[in-house]
This record gives sequence, structure tokens and C-alpha cells, in this order.
Amino acid sequence: MASATDSRYGQKESSDQNFDYMFKILIIGNSSVGKTSFLFRYADDSFTPAFVSTVGIDFKVKTIYRNDKRIKLQIWDTAGQERYRTITTAYYRGAMGFILMYDITNEESFNAVQDWSTQIKTYSWDNAQVLLVGNKCDMEDERVVSSERGRQLADHLGFEFFEASAKDNINVKQTFERLVDVICEKMSESLDTADPAVTGTKQGPQLTDQQAPPHQDCAC
Amino acid sequence: MAEEANLHSLQELEREEILQVLYRDQTVRNIEEERIRKLKIHLQHLRWKGAKRVSQEYKEKSCARCQRILGLLLNRGAVCQGCSHRVCSECRVFLRRTQAWKCTVCFEDRNVKIKTGEWFFEERAKKFPTEGKRETAGAKLLQSYQKLSKISVVPPTPPPLSESQCSGSPGRLQELGQFKGFNKSMENLFLSVATHMKKLSKSQNDMTSDKQLLATGPRQCTGQSERRSQSDTAINVTTRKVRAPDILKPLNQESPKCPTNPVLKQEDLSSSPPPNTLFSGGLRHGSLISINSTCTEMGNFDNANVTGEIEFAIRYCFKTHSLEICIKACKNLAYGEEKKKKCNPYVKIYLLPDKSSQGKRKTGVQRNTVDPTFQETLKYQVDPAQLVSRQLQVSVWHVGMLTRRVFLGEVIIPLATWDFEDSTMQSFCWYPLGAKAEKYEDGVPPNYGELAVRAKLVLPGGPRKLQEAQEGTGDQPSSNGQLCLVVLGAKNLRVRSDGTLNSFVKGCLTLPDQQKLRLKSPVLKKQACPQWKHSFVFKDVTPSQLRQASLELTVWDQAVFGVSDRLLGGARLSSKEDPAGGTDSCSQSKLQWQKVLSSPNLWTDMTLILH
Ligand SMILES: Nc1nc2c(ncn2[C@@H]2O[C@H](COP(=O)(O)OP(=O)(O)OP(=O)(O)O)[C@@H](O)[C@H]2O)c(=O)[nH]1
Ligand SMILES: [Mg+2]
Ligand SMILES: [Zn+2]
Ligand SMILES: [Zn+2]
Repeated sequence: MASATDSRYGQKESSDQNFDYMFKILIIGNSSVGKTSFLFRYADDSFTPAFVSTVGIDFKVKTIYRNDKRIKLQIWDTAGQERYRTITTAYYRGAMGFILMYDITNEESFNAVQDWSTQIKTYSWDNAQVLLVGNKCDMEDERVVSSERGRQLADHLGFEFFEASAKDNINVKQTFERLVDVICEKMSESLDTADPAVTGTKQGPQLTDQQAPPHQDCAC
Repeated sequence: MAEEANLHSLQELEREEILQVLYRDQTVRNIEEERIRKLKIHLQHLRWKGAKRVSQEYKEKSCARCQRILGLLLNRGAVCQGCSHRVCSECRVFLRRTQAWKCTVCFEDRNVKIKTGEWFFEERAKKFPTEGKRETAGAKLLQSYQKLSKISVVPPTPPPLSESQCSGSPGRLQELGQFKGFNKSMENLFLSVATHMKKLSKSQNDMTSDKQLLATGPRQCTGQSERRSQSDTAINVTTRKVRAPDILKPLNQESPKCPTNPVLKQEDLSSSPPPNTLFSGGLRHGSLISINSTCTEMGNFDNANVTGEIEFAIRYCFKTHSLEICIKACKNLAYGEEKKKKCNPYVKIYLLPDKSSQGKRKTGVQRNTVDPTFQETLKYQVDPAQLVSRQLQVSVWHVGMLTRRVFLGEVIIPLATWDFEDSTMQSFCWYPLGAKAEKYEDGVPPNYGELAVRAKLVLPGGPRKLQEAQEGTGDQPSSNGQLCLVVLGAKNLRVRSDGTLNSFVKGCLTLPDQQKLRLKSPVLKKQACPQWKHSFVFKDVTPSQLRQASLELTVWDQAVFGVSDRLLGGARLSSKEDPAGGTDSCSQSKLQWQKVLSSPNLWTDMTLILH
């Protein structure tokens, strides 16, 4: 509840358009892996152990500072339950990046990752950026999916990989920020390789070469 | 049986929840569109500037951006990778962390692509070339829901009359049929409860385990709303049921007779000039206006010299559709009675353009202070879709002896781009009080009420034919259609001094060849908020004609002695550029009109502002 008590936050900007650009992000994965919890941790810094399965879709808006830019994130939280699949997949096309989540204590949710990634391939644009997240890494005792398997699958699918915990606030912020960075990279790439302002031939690949980021290994 | 009912209500609950999300998304989108519109205008200006330069005679040895002469050895310039023009070193912008650069114009172009998200839409178009550029799932869902709900939820509002007159129109069932496949997800979500339930059980084989589904099912109907990203804990849900009679309700609902405004003094009635002078068609800014404004401002008032500030917060709950204005305090107000140093202030608000007494909310009166504290929350029930067309007017008044009122200042806030998602926008904020806004600010046309209509373009072949009709000459008899229009009703009209009207509507469709088709509704007597529910059918028109045509709807008050009818206001629908430069309400109705033309055989509801 954002309430009167926030008022000390200071005078609001007269313009609400106080950001440089907007990214849309989608969180997908089986029901109960912790998508909603993950988003609530990130956006509100809150966590509740109670499980309330998401109905259809929901979203939160958060504006962050990244690389001297104010980026407004509209983060869509989808229902993992199959019965909402038609509605959730409708949102894939609008998303620039994805967080694909499984639960490290739930083998089945890990086995479903392949299917989810196929969904992305089918419904989303070709350069969709995906981060694979193994959530609930606070529950080490009940772990059934090793970090190694997670990493291998991520490599296989070409995604970056994090293990995280919405409960203990591990790697939550990092996941979102990394995704934003990856989208930014994709953005520069797409702008600098195929600039429609170029009418004739491209003069050389220098721009892209220099833009290509050193591929960091994102350990968690 | 009981179980089924339960499941059904769960279904409704789900729909409610998803709708809330869709409406919240709609405001986010509105804000984003506004931002992008501004960015695009900015780039256009830059382009124009650039164009001047490009059109100048090309000189090999000068910078394409600033015309500086380039040297043979020093400062020779270099070719921009974006536009292949040679530019000087001053007119280059280096990209972050690289040696690569672009000229100033190319850089700005790139910038705008980033800021508007254009880069993404271009990339996406590679895979989905037919996808509407900025079309979002949410917008589509909402659109089809609104259409569907009109057909299946609201009882057939257009009277049978219209249905029979539009003989070419397919029946409701067929209309429903057209939606099948139009939007699978909506179909699944809102239409077929039965299949939905089957799916529910089938889905358990898929990516989710039975165990989880069973476990989550029942809990769904209980506390899920707690976790919605709403900030509405303070909102009393019961307020929803106690809806004030409100202009914001859809107009096509049967509404109780509008109460006549009780404020008019007796002398107004007796001393009013003969109707033929007062109510003559041309008279728009004269005494009528003053009658009207006297009504809404509750009698005469004086003006104080405006000083001071007011502190309030604006919140909107997408769940209950409740708009809350929390009035906290004022400071440094002017004295209502300067000589006596007296001030008994209170705050009054309206959601413009509604200035009816039902749309008014007031705080209590504070006595003998120029720094009053109110701590009062004033509420409205407003549809999210309506918010964008509203302005919040917050004014401060002094109550003197003999209930004489003195205006102490006001603030007007357009809600169209108010970001209700942003929690910082919900905080309290001090706003400087201003003098009374001019009755009609420059460029803002006067608002003489609202007219609700429903329109449909009937084509014999259904939507598939539209393509052909658009591409063909438009003259084949097969593509001839008719424009059906149901004039539902009007509100906030400039009533006579007795608070009523004998009103009727004229429709005039001007075709590209200047041919005019005119129709008129019957007169509804003694009503302030007439509900004609009358249908106009313009026969034998083609979509291509309509795209060039304009439709004018005017509302009239029938003259008592038959001298001349009084024009109450009118609205114009056309997809052509408005030469006067469209105001927001114009461009909105233009969009709606385009929707009518582009979705044949479907009803589109519109609320037109009368000017
Ligand atoms: N221990 C632990 N529990 C978690 C964590 N994240 C989520 N949970 C719990 O897991 C359950 C499911 O979390 P949700 O976030 O509602 O799951 P979801 O993925 O949104 O599920 P759907 O909305 O049905 O798709 C809840 O009981 C959470 O409290 C975590 O990092 N650690
Ligand atoms: Mg969820
Ligand atoms: Zn230059
Ligand atoms: Zn250039």
C-alpha cells in the first residue's frame, strides 16, 4: 500500500514521463515455482510464504537507473497453470525479455523448462532474451536439481543462468538487472547493424564489432 | 448444482481480476503513448531542420550538418556511417564506450528509436510482419472483451427497430460467431464456461502436476486479491454498491430522470425574455451561458485575490473503479472577506466536463482560518476508460454571511496522463492555487454536453469483404452497405430555465460528392437527459465513400412558438484531417469513427462531446 506516508518522498515530478525508455519483461514457468514471489520481492521487497496462484496475468511497474538511464520496467507475471495458457502466450509477443523460472526442489518444473523455451521460440520475437532462474535456492535440504544441471541446460538453450531465492532475496535484483543489460545490448546491436537510415551499403562492421560485449560468465 | 454455481462465480471472479489488470495496463499504455507522441514530434522538428540543410546545394567541402567549410588537410571531416554525409568533428556523437560515432541527426534518430521502443517493433516485425505495430495483447483483450460484453452481457440496448432496419445485419449469434477464432484467448476466457471447465481437468497432464493444481484450486477463490499489485487496502468495498447517480455510468442505461437544478431563483423564470429571443439558434454565448454557469456555481459569488496553496493526493483503485481525492490542507489562503479578515474555507471538486450537481463533491467548512486542515477523502466511481477524458477541478471557497460565497482559487489537473501506477504520484502534494480558468481557454472548445451513440457499418459480406471493398473501386453493388447509427441519449445539455428540453437530433451525412443525406429523430418532450434510442440508417453507402465522408450530429431544442429551434450543440465524425487541428476529444472521436469503419457489422459505442 503506497499511502500518504510516502509523501515525504518529496515532491513528485510534474511529469510522470520521467524515464528514458520502457522495457517489457515476462516471467514464465510452472505454477508454484515462485514467479509472483520473485516479482514481489523485486518490486516491493516483500515475501509471503502463503501460495496464491496467479489468475491469468498481472504486472508491476518499476523504474530503475541503469547505465545513466531511467528505465521503466513493466514486468508481467504470468499464471503457470495450463488453463490460462491462451491468455499468457498472447503476451509473449510484447516482451523484450523473459525470466524462465523453475524450482530447484521440484524436478518436474525443471523438466518443463524445455517446453517453456519452445513456447518462447514459438510466440516471441527472434531475439528474445531469456534468463533461466532456478528459484528457492534457500531450500538446500530439499534440492533435487543441482546447480550443475541447471547450468548445463542453460548453456544448451543459450540462456544465461542464475540460482536465486525470492524468500532470502538472493540474486533477485541481479537477475532483473542482468536481463535489462542483455536487452540493452540487443538493442544497440539491432540499431547499429541494420540502421534503416543507411540507404546504400553498410560501410563496415566496425560498429557491431565494438558493440559486442565480452561474454561474461554470470556466476551466482 | 450448487457446485456449478460456485464454479461459475469463480469464473466471474477471474474475469474481474483480469479486467482490473487490463485496465491498469491501459493507463500505463496511455501514458506511454503520450510520451511517444511527444518524442515523435520532437524528432519531426529535428528532421525539418535537417531537411533544410539537405535541400541546400550539396557542397563537397562543407559539413552536412553545420555547413562549416572543411579543410583539405586539417579538419577534413568524415563520412557518417548512418547517412553517408561528410560531417565535421563537431557534429559527431560517439557511442557509449566505443570509437564509433554518428552524425547529430543520425544519433537523434537512433535515440528516438530507443526511447520509443521502435527498435523492438522493427525487430519483431521481421518475425510477425502482420502484427500491428504497437498493438499489445492487453489492448486486444480489452477491446474484444468490451465488444463481447456488449453483445452477451448487456441486454440488446438498440431497440428492435434498429435491428430490423439494418436488414443486412447479421443476427447476434452470427456476430458472436465472428469472434470465434478472432481472439482465441478471449473466447476461452470469457465465453465458454463449459469448455473451460473441461480444460481445467485436462490441463493437469501438461506442464503442471495434478497435485499442485488440486492444491491451488480452492484457495483461488479466497484471498488472492491480497496479492494483486494494488494499493487499495484503504478502500471501502461497500462504496462500490452505493453508487452515486453519476454521469460516468454508461449512458445507454436507463437512468432516472435528471433532477432539475433547484438553484434557479424564481425571478429567473418570470423575468426570462420571450423564448424566441432567448432560444434562437445563433445565441450561444449570451445569457444562456450565464444561466448555466449560475446553476453550477450555486448562485452568485465574489472573487478574492487568489493566494496560497492546497495539498491533496489523487489515487485510483482499478479494482473498485474508485477515484479518491484526499484533501489535506490549504495554506496562505486569501481572506474571503478582506475587510473583516474573515475566512471560512471549504473545498469543492468536479470531474470536468461534468459540472452537474451529482458530479460535485465538497468537504466540510473550516471556520476562521486561512490555513485550514481538512483531512477528507472525496470519492468518485469512474470507469478506467473514462478517466482519460476527465479533468479534476479542485476549487476553494469561502462561506460568508447569508451563505454568500467567495472564490478563493482553484487547480485543474488533467487525468489523461496521470500515472496511477506510480506510487509517487499517489503522494500528497502542494499545488499553487490559481485564478478561475477562463470559461473557454484558447483552443479548448466549449463543452455543451455529451451525446451517446452506437454505430455500425453493415456490409453484406461480413468482414472478409472489407478488404475487397477497400481495394476495389467501391462502386460494385456488392460492396454497398449501410451505416446504422443509434442515437442513444444525451446528458449535461444546456437546459431551459425550467430544467427541461424538447429535444431532437439531426444527422447529416455528407458524402465526398457533397451529396447530403439527412435524418431526424422524434422530439422527446420535457426531458433534461433525453434517451431517444432512435436509429438512423444511411443506405447505399460504400466504405470508401464513408472514409471521405463526414457525419454531423446536432442536438436541438424545439422552439416553443415554432420560431426557430435552438441549437444545443453538435459533434462531427470524420476520418479526414480536421483543418482546425484536432483537439483531444476530436481525435478521440476520430479514432472511434475509424473503428466503426474498420470493423464492419460490429457495434461501436461512442460518447461524443457536443461543441
Ligand atoms: N522457500 C522458498 N519458498 C518460495 C520461494 N519463492 C516462492 N516460494 C513459495 O512458493 C510458493 C509459490 O510461489 P508463487 O510465487 O505464488 O508461485 P507462482 O510461480 O507465481 O505460481 P503461479 O502463479 O500459480 O504460476 C509460495 O508458497 C511461496 O511462498 C523461495 O525463494 N523460497
Ligand atoms: Mg503467480
Ligand atoms: Zn558540422
Ligand atoms: Zn548521419
